[in-house]
Order: sequence, then structure tokens, then C-alpha cells
Amino acid sequence: MVLGAVFLWPLAVSVLASLTRDGALTLAHYETVWRLYRGDVLYTIGVAAAGTVLTFAAAIPACGWLRLRAFGPVEFLLKVPLFVPFVVVGHALRVALSPHAPGLAGSWAGIALALAWKHLGLAALLLLGAFRGVDESYLEAARDVGATGGRLVRDILVPMSGPALAVSGILIFSSMLASFSIPLMMSRGGGPQMLMIDVYYRYGQHGDFATASALGVVAYLLAMGAALVYARRLTA
Amino acid sequence: MLVRLLILLLALAVPAAAATRVNVAIGADVNVVEVHKTVLGPGFAQTSKDTEFNVVGTGTGEPASRAIYTKLKAQADTGRKPWDIDVALVSMAVASQMVKEGLLHRYVPQLKNAALVKGAEVKEAFGVTVDGYVVPMFQNQIAIAYNPARVAAPPKTFEELVAWAAANPGKFGYNGIKGGVSGVGFTMGWVYWKTGQYKALTQGPFDKSKEGAIREAITALRDFNKTALITNGNAGTLDALNRGEIAMGAVWIDQLVAWKNEGRMDATVTPVLPAPGLPIYPLYLVVPREAANRDLAVRYIDYVATPEVQAKAIVEKFGWYPGVDADKVLPLISAKSRELLFKGVSAEDLAKYSRQMPIKEYHDLITLAYEEIVR
Repeated sequence: MVLGAVFLWPLAVSVLASLTRDGALTLAHYETVWRLYRGDVLYTIGVAAAGTVLTFAAAIPACGWLRLRAFGPVEFLLKVPLFVPFVVVGHALRVALSPHAPGLAGSWAGIALALAWKHLGLAALLLLGAFRGVDESYLEAARDVGATGGRLVRDILVPMSGPALAVSGILIFSSMLASFSIPLMMSRGGGPQMLMIDVYYRYGQHGDFATASALGVVAYLLAMGAALVYARRLTA
Repeated sequence: MLVRLLILLLALAVPAAAATRVNVAIGADVNVVEVHKTVLGPGFAQTSKDTEFNVVGTGTGEPASRAIYTKLKAQADTGRKPWDIDVALVSMAVASQMVKEGLLHRYVPQLKNAALVKGAEVKEAFGVTVDGYVVPMFQNQIAIAYNPARVAAPPKTFEELVAWAAANPGKFGYNGIKGGVSGVGFTMGWVYWKTGQYKALTQGPFDKSKEGAIREAITALRDFNKTALITNGNAGTLDALNRGEIAMGAVWIDQLVAWKNEGRMDATVTPVLPAPGLPIYPLYLVVPREAANRDLAVRYIDYVATPEVQAKAIVEKFGWYPGVDADKVLPLISAKSRELLFKGVSAEDLAKYSRQMPIKEYHDLITLAYEEIVR
């Protein structure tokens, strides 16, 4: 009942709005999305993918190191981004990057960097849990045959945490797909945009609820693709 | 949007005290909200005892006005009466839509200051007759701001602007059409200049055959953009100007003045209005059709439209251009305020080069062409 009221009903209204014009069924709003925003769909997927890769590139070595040598202060620092609001991250990165690297601040790479920074906390939380779930005996066995830090992470911790890493990646990727505050704070007014910015523009500037809804449905579908993989992982 | 609506709902749901409470919803920045809270509201309350003001800001830009529209439309659609907003400050686009949909009360004829409400922008907005429904709180002009240390001769025309940008790649900035209305206004000014169709685009009727000329103008803008920096918003352009990333950019004059007054902006940055001009985009005070305190709302707007109040609160305190008859307001301001107000852009420039926004059909055609051609 609650699920129906707070999730399914708004979703149904939004889907219906994206499929109707003056009470008649139409795909015109999706045609608008295809004509104007298909590049932005790919851009959004690209930025989210780059952000996810960056997040893992930083989180895996850091969490691997923390698994091998527990060190509270570093673990705390790594989790700080969990408590920093998205909009503050966007603002901080823009302020920090603009004077030194103005080209980077407003680019896809800048947005991916900010998204990665913000999601590092979540990644640390998930990865540390997974790495700590790996039995110490595997690590000791590897050490006995001469493996050191990097090899232990690469050859023992990562492969044995594969499913958890995949689920973390999907959660982080989906969150990045739907990001709004960071692109709003950082992106330029021209060139490709993240999908949520397009939703905001269609509704805010044009009052075009229907196309905004169609863009929203596309975002649902993208997130749902990732969610299906997630669900299969959970039930596998 | 949802968050804005929720804030608006919560703020308006505060239990009423014994005094009559006037709910004022402001679709503009915090400084405009503050004027109503700290200057205009208390000033009016002195003349009207037992009146208290509940002033709520709904954010910035078009979405802020749209939040107000969404709330009133929902109340109208559900048949609820009275509506819980008495006075609203909304953008030209949203006001015209609300007039078109019958959501507003035609109150201007009841004002003592009705004769001061004049100008093309109070007659028509985006092709909709808004005469009698709106009073501009202040006028907001889009202009080109420049840093005199880096721009020896500010452009007097769009031709000069294009030549300067070509000679100084990356040093002219504006925010495209997705980063705020100053970029939209620059785009409209560009199309007026390139097509030479200002009158037809602003007065209609809509003629689809003009699409070719519009798309040609936007194609030229795409080429121009290669020499320009697209910033991330109205504030982003000012920020880039202040940091020296750009030396010239399209800005709102009121925002430039506000930033300078707050010491956040290089004081030497100056606005200029190149021919054939850029749009002026007023924020309108409106009274919803079923406002609970309609008479009080009308009296409040009448107070805001008084030349003395306009001179002290709107012009001298905030550096905005007056919303009502400038001939009646400007003689009341100090020489210093006058100098600040017209530094770079004179009253004559405003008279000659202030442009209206196009009618809605052309506005949509131009922004669509921009999305398709420029990206």
C-alpha cells in the first residue's frame, strides 16, 4: 500500500504523462528525447561509468591497504564523503578547480571526478566489508609463498570479493546516473548535459512536463538495467 | 521542484495569528525575499495595522516562478478556495501563462498608482495580453559587462562584440540557454540582430516561414560560440569575470550591482548595452484570482508601486531600475545613486536598446533551434 502510494503511483503518473498529449496516446515526447537528448543519454552513461571506474581505482587500493593494516584515522577520512552533501561536493570541487584548471572544472572529467569523490565513502563502506569477509587464512597462505601488499589485493582480495564488488559498482553507477546537484554546480551551460539537468531544463524553463517525464522514464530504464543485474546477483 | 513545493507548503501552513496574514511568494533570489521581509513588508505594515507578512522564497530562475504556478494551478484544479498565496512575484513567462490560464486577478485598475504602470512589457508578455494583471517590482536588464583593464573599447554594437570575441578567443562568456535567463536573453538579442526581425518576433503574429532566418542566425551563433566560453550560469559568468577567466560576458545588471555592493565583485567591471540591444526581463507582482486577502494584496502592491518607495527601496537600496514610471521615480533618487545606476548604461541607452522577449512561439522556436544546432 505504502509502496503503491509513494512509488508506483507517481511513477505511473510520470509514465502516463510521457505517453500522452492532449489526452491522446503519443510517442512524440520520446521522439523529442531521441532527437535532442540521445547524445546526453550516452554522455550520462559515459560520465557515470568513468566516475565508477575512478571510484574503484581509488577505493580498491585504499580499502585493500586498510584490510591488510587496519588504521582508524585513514578509514574515517575515507568515509567522510558519505556525510558531505552532493551540492557541497559540487561547489567545493568547482571552487577548488576553477582558478587552477577551469577547463577541467566544467568538463565531463571534472564531473566524473566530483562524483567519484562523493561516492568514495560508499565504496569504502561496501568494499571494506567485503574485504574483511575474506578469511585471513587465504592471505596468510599467499604471504607464505611471498605475496606482498599489491599482489594480496589484486590476486586474493579482489577476486574473492567479486560479487560484492559487482553489486557495489552497480549501486554506485545507478546513483551517478541520477546525479543532479553535482552536474548543476559544475557543468557549463552548453555542450552535452547529464540527463537530470535536461529534465530540470525541460520543466523549469519550458514547463514541459511531458518531455521531462519521458527523460525520467529513460533514466528509470537505465537504472533498471543496472538494478536487474543487481537483483540477479542477489538471487544467484 | 518537489522540495521547493514542500517548503512552500510548510511555510504557508504556519498557523495564522490574530492579525491578517498576507502570504507573499517570491520566485526570485534571497535578496528580493529580504526586501519584502525587511523593507517593503514592515513599511506597509506601518500604514496598515494588524497586518503581518509571511514571505516565502521559492528559489531562483524560472523554476522558482514555476513552483508558484504549480501550487496555484493545483489549487485551481482541485477547486480549493481561497488560495493560500496573496501576492506572488513571478517571471514574465510564468505570469503570461497564468494570465492565459485565468489564474490571476485583474487588479491594476484598482491601484492609486495605476497610471505609473506603463510600458510595452505591462501590456503584452510572450504574446499574451497581461494589461491590468501585472506590476513590475523592478526592471531587470541583460547587458554585456566588461573589465575596463582588459577591454580598451567596449563594444557599442553586436558587430564590434563579435570582432572583439574573434580577436580574444575564450575571453567572452555567456551561459548558453540552459544556465539561466541572461544566456537566453543574449541568444534572443543575437537573433534580433541577425534577423533584423525584432518587431515581428516580439509582436507577432507567429509566422512559421521565419524559421529559416532564425535557424540561420542560430547557426551563426554556433560559430560565434567557438570563440566564446560557455559558463555554468548567471553567477558563473560573473564569477569568471571576477576571476579574470573572461574579460567580457552577458550578465544581469541587477546581479552585477548586487555583487559589487556586497564587495564580491571587482568594482571596475562595467555594463554596456550594445546596439541593437538586449532584453529586459521584469519580475511581475501578481495577485492570484482566489487569493484569500485580495484587497490587502492589492494595497500592498500599490504601496510597492509608490514612487517614493520605488526610489528608496528599489533604486537606492538595491540598484535596480524602477518597475514603474521612471520619470516619476528617478527625480526622487540621490545624485550618487543615479550615477551608480546609470554607470555604463545610460537612461538613453535603456530607452533605445532595451528589447522585449519574443512571443512564446518564437521563443520556443529559437530555443529549440539552439538545442538542435548549437547543443
